[in-house]
Amino acid sequence: MIQMFHVSKSYASAPPCLTDVTLQIDKGEFVFVTGPSGAGKSTLLKLMFCAERATSGQVLVDGRNLGRIRNSAVPFLRRNVGVVFQDFKLLLQRTVSENVAFPLQVLGVSRVECEERVRKMLRRVGLAHKADSLPPRLSGGEQQRVVIARALVNEPTILLADEPTGNLDPELTIEILDLLCDVNVRGTTVVVATHDASVLTRYRKRIIRLQGGRVVFDGNELRGRALMAAG
Amino acid sequence: MRALANTAYFWRCAVQGVRRAPLVHLLAVFTIGMVLLAAGLARSGISLLDSLTESIGGEVELTVYLREGATESSAAEVARLLGSKTGGSAMVVTPEAALARLRAELRGVGDALRDLPSNPLPYSVQLRVAPALRNPAALRALAAEARAMPLVQDADYGEEAVARLTAISRAVRYAGLVAFTVIGLATVFIVAATLQLAIYARRDEIEIQKLVGATNRFVKAPFLVEGGIQGVLGAALALAALWAFSQAVGPKLQLLFAFLLRPGAQLSLVSPSVACELLLGGGVLGLSGSFVAVGRFLKT
Repeated sequence: MIQMFHVSKSYASAPPCLTDVTLQIDKGEFVFVTGPSGAGKSTLLKLMFCAERATSGQVLVDGRNLGRIRNSAVPFLRRNVGVVFQDFKLLLQRTVSENVAFPLQVLGVSRVECEERVRKMLRRVGLAHKADSLPPRLSGGEQQRVVIARALVNEPTILLADEPTGNLDPELTIEILDLLCDVNVRGTTVVVATHDASVLTRYRKRIIRLQGGRVVFDGNELRGRALMAAG
Repeated sequence: MRALANTAYFWRCAVQGVRRAPLVHLLAVFTIGMVLLAAGLARSGISLLDSLTESIGGEVELTVYLREGATESSAAEVARLLGSKTGGSAMVVTPEAALARLRAELRGVGDALRDLPSNPLPYSVQLRVAPALRNPAALRALAAEARAMPLVQDADYGEEAVARLTAISRAVRYAGLVAFTVIGLATVFIVAATLQLAIYARRDEIEIQKLVGATNRFVKAPFLVEGGIQGVLGAALALAALWAFSQAVGPKLQLLFAFLLRPGAQLSLVSPSVACELLLGGGVLGLSGSFVAVGRFLKT
């Protein structure tokens, strides 16, 4: 589903964010990308939905080589990839429903169908009763669930979540990750970037650990935990 | 179905955009309105000039001078031929009558003509053409046709005056076109600047749209509709101002410029064709402004 071959990413007059990253994420997998701040987690995710382009190496998503697709084809790739942003990126003057409906409007879904699908999605994330609320009136966890609903409403095959629990307390963190696990069980490939070690120990999933822009570990939770404890 | 949903969405977004930043849009509408008002007034001025050219063309009679040696009967034949061709009236002027007329026109100096050994003036035919042919182009064609007749020496209808007026009218028209192009471009940039403020206010929305898979065309469309709405509202404003102007000073202008107008012609500032032209102009200005603004924003 997602393949990276010797991928590097660097910006002018700055040390490289990613160096020689090679990895493969299969369809239906749940993967944590972890590492300290500045390790390159967000950059890795950005490469996967073409928010950034690799300086060298190849990134393949769903069989498409992102280094070779034209800018005009990027929107069509993104329609198949849901993204949960660390800073939510919600429109504060729009209601929860309107925020969730955004990807459907882009797809040209009719108003009636759009309302129906948004209602179903809000029910799924437990926010049906907040459909007409504005985001500032929601808690952090609720706002994050709105973002997840928006990312999933057009049924993408891949869900990328960049620090989805970064600003949440432990209880809400579990709530959000349970939701992401549920999404994964339904067949969506989920990639979550997090630096929260407690999350890694609670959910026994594959871990890709980055340090200084390099993959220093790619394996299951137990070995990852041992590695994190070691340094 | 998808196109319909998209169209409905673009219109909803455009109307919401106008509602969210009414002052910015009002400024753009006002700018477009003023430019179109000026264009509408200029158009009336040009049509007034056209009318003057046509009326002068209509007033001038076509005088056909026959060759030396032409007789009264041959002059009558030419008059009959030209009269039947044009559907107007043709009158033969004998050399004696022409000389008498010249003498009268020269007044005091006219008596000098008595000393001429013989009358140098030829037979001529004075032609008053039918109203439908009273325009420079028809007169020019008729004069050319008369000149081609074997007995005819020359034909005159005040060609120079008509040509000069036509040239003035053309120059004014070109000058107006250049001025409108320059002002139109300036308006496009003013509208673009105002719309850029509206776009900037919605930059978060655009960013999210792009992140969830919106194409540039999808992002642009509501702003283009907004620009179109501004253009149409600007045109409506210009039309309303033109109508008010014509109501307030129209009758006075009609009296003032009556000498320039053809008999029975009305000085009209607002007509269906003017309305269509202004609406089209407004639409083009609004769309161009929004196209420039959103294009510039998406590039950055």
